[in-house]
Amino acid sequence: MTVLASVSLATFLVTGLAATQFRSQPLASSNRLARDEALRQSVNQLEDQNRALKARVQALQAEVKAGEDESARRSSAVQQVKALLDEQKAIAGLTALHGPGLTIVLRDGVDPNDPADRSLGWTIHYQDLQDIVSLLWASGAEAVAVNGQRVVPSTSFHYAGVNILINNANRLTSPYTVTALGDPSTLANGVGDPDQLAELKSRNRIYRLGLSWLRSTRLSVPAYDTTFLVKSAQPLG
Amino acid sequence: MVVSLIGLALGFLVVVQLRSQAAVARTLASQDNTSVALLINDLNRANNQLIQQAAALSLQETQLRQALTAGGADAQTISKELQTLRAVTGAVPVHGPGLQIRIMGPIMDFELQDLLNSLRAAGGEAFSLNGSRMIGSTPIASRGNTLMIGGHAVSAPLVLLVIGDPEQLEPAADLSASSLQTRVQVDIQRKSEITITEVISARPLIYAQLGR
Repeated sequence: MTVLASVSLATFLVTGLAATQFRSQPLASSNRLARDEALRQSVNQLEDQNRALKARVQALQAEVKAGEDESARRSSAVQQVKALLDEQKAIAGLTALHGPGLTIVLRDGVDPNDPADRSLGWTIHYQDLQDIVSLLWASGAEAVAVNGQRVVPSTSFHYAGVNILINNANRLTSPYTVTALGDPSTLANGVGDPDQLAELKSRNRIYRLGLSWLRSTRLSVPAYDTTFLVKSAQPLG
Repeated sequence: MVVSLIGLALGFLVVVQLRSQAAVARTLASQDNTSVALLINDLNRANNQLIQQAAALSLQETQLRQALTAGGADAQTISKELQTLRAVTGAVPVHGPGLQIRIMGPIMDFELQDLLNSLRAAGGEAFSLNGSRMIGSTPIASRGNTLMIGGHAVSAPLVLLVIGDPEQLEPAADLSASSLQTRVQVDIQRKSEITITEVISARPLIYAQLGR
């Protein structure tokens, strides 16, 4: 009975895997090919829409800002609120910043093509980027960006299959550049600490991920590319 | 005999499967359909968010313009935006629906980071852990077995409060909990009202300056 159960489970798994496997083969039936093509076209359309929507949001942000600036010129009371607003915008990441800091680069390594190594250690995972960013905050970073995307309070790094996404479904791809503003020495000491990023550093030696960091006297990070929508968290009082 | 053949075939297919996933260069053409489907899901969600952002900004712009046209200035609209940003940066106490997640044993910094990451992706808007407010830049570190939040040690049981739509947050919390639960007990409760009174004072910008 147990054997039978394992056999049918194995058959089920094999069928499932075989199905997945064959779907990714180029010699699929024309139906499958058409469906694969349609899926990829959907992504292209959605990414076009994503870019257009961001441009629309950015244009509206500029209009709102013009309205706020004009309002502040009209009234000293509004001017005071506007000063507080500008301060919060800088804190939230809605303002571009520049200054000294540290740049960290890394990239996907080369597939070792070793049947005994199925670890995928040669690719950069979202956790690697998340760990680097977290370490930079802990090392006193004042602002951080990854591949030109500002890391803001609402930023999350996550996987959609093989894709690493941050901020409004931006796809990050290798090579990766993490820019942090702050004291270059303190940031470099944080990243250089052998106890930090130990697993990534070990994979860097094995798979040559090109992990390196460079202090700089002038770097810049862009503003967050859209705005914040708060739906559930209401200010108290 | 049959079993070992199937085992062999299974092993082979698993290898091929992992290989083919590993070989993707993350270009769209070479991605497996599951990755593409997940990407479509995320793009749909992000685009919906952007549509809502545009609607909110459009309303804000109209209100500002109307006041200007009438010869005045709309302080209320600007105050409202200020309050929204203060909620985002952790500068004001907030309340709303969400989850209470109790973690009954010690966890590592990266485990908490992964959990926060998943909850943010699911629309988590405000967080506190054992009375410490947390935003994206709050340093989380393990010193030995001790978890440090913004330089303060916190110890189990950990009570994580998160404000956001419980419908969205709960599946994300469940998924994270399932990996933690092999070691520690995790209890997740939906709450119609959560209050986070702790605030964060912004780190002053010493090295960074405004502008590109």
